[in-house]
Amino acid sequence: MPESRLITSYLAILAAQLPASIVEELADGLTETHRSYLRQGLAPDLAAQSAVAEFGEPQMIVAGFARVNPARRAARRLLGIGPAVGACWIAVLLTSRSWALPLPARMLAGATLAAVIALLATSALGKRYRLAARTGAAGFLGVIALDASLIAGVALAGVPLTWVLAVAMAASAARICYAARALRPALAG
Amino acid sequence: MRAEELKGHLDAMLLAALEGGPQHGYAVIEALRQSTGGRLDLPTGTIYPALRRLEQAGLITGSWSVVGGRRRREYRLTPAGDRALSGRRADWRDFSAMMTAALEGRPCPSPA
Repeated sequence: MPESRLITSYLAILAAQLPASIVEELADGLTETHRSYLRQGLAPDLAAQSAVAEFGEPQMIVAGFARVNPARRAARRLLGIGPAVGACWIAVLLTSRSWALPLPARMLAGATLAAVIALLATSALGKRYRLAARTGAAGFLGVIALDASLIAGVALAGVPLTWVLAVAMAASAARICYAARALRPALAG
Repeated sequence: MRAEELKGHLDAMLLAALEGGPQHGYAVIEALRQSTGGRLDLPTGTIYPALRRLEQAGLITGSWSVVGGRRRREYRLTPAGDRALSGRRADWRDFSAMMTAALEGRPCPSPA
């Protein structure tokens, strides 16, 4: 439990921008710092001021956590591998004549892809922890939906299995697994 | 020593602070303060993101416990963290010997 109004206010600033588990850890450290100053004989208010000053500016701490946000890192990786997975599926489209999507479906797929890229880019560049986590989570869900649709699409269309298709499906399956693993910590943020 | 001078060295210092056994964030900070003779001038709140970064890199692992009614996160070195610390120590010895030779005009010892 925080022991002074100053410490409570300081933690409230952090809690507005960071996940509860991170704030709990910071609260423990700040409380220990405060108690250390009390043990040294400082008055409670001065001890709280010293503890807060020693901890540093809240925005600096928030920025530090934003840099190590797992959602941001996962979004960067998904953006990085996106062109390779996309190239696999373009190769499938070029080599398989039996899988021609109707125009509305192509437009929907294109719009979804653009939205997913925008969400992942927002997360990857995000300096605000919660925004990066939420846009990341939405982007990861979009990746899962896109890849699952591609795999289901070729299965339903009865596209003959070639090595190009096998590679594309394996790439999408791997990306679904990665996005699903990244989703849980992003939702916690 | 100020934060900007520590860039690139903080990770190794945190790993070294955890070498003796599991520690929570505040204890890590205290260990660093003691090991540097109180010369570490770093906003202590910035240690926590650095610990998370090391955890994501698989060099340390964190676990929660409850102490005095408060949840507390403790960190311990992983085998990979132990190896990384040994590597950073060896690199530092080489770097330090090279800089001493360059700045003080002493002969540079050959690397171990």
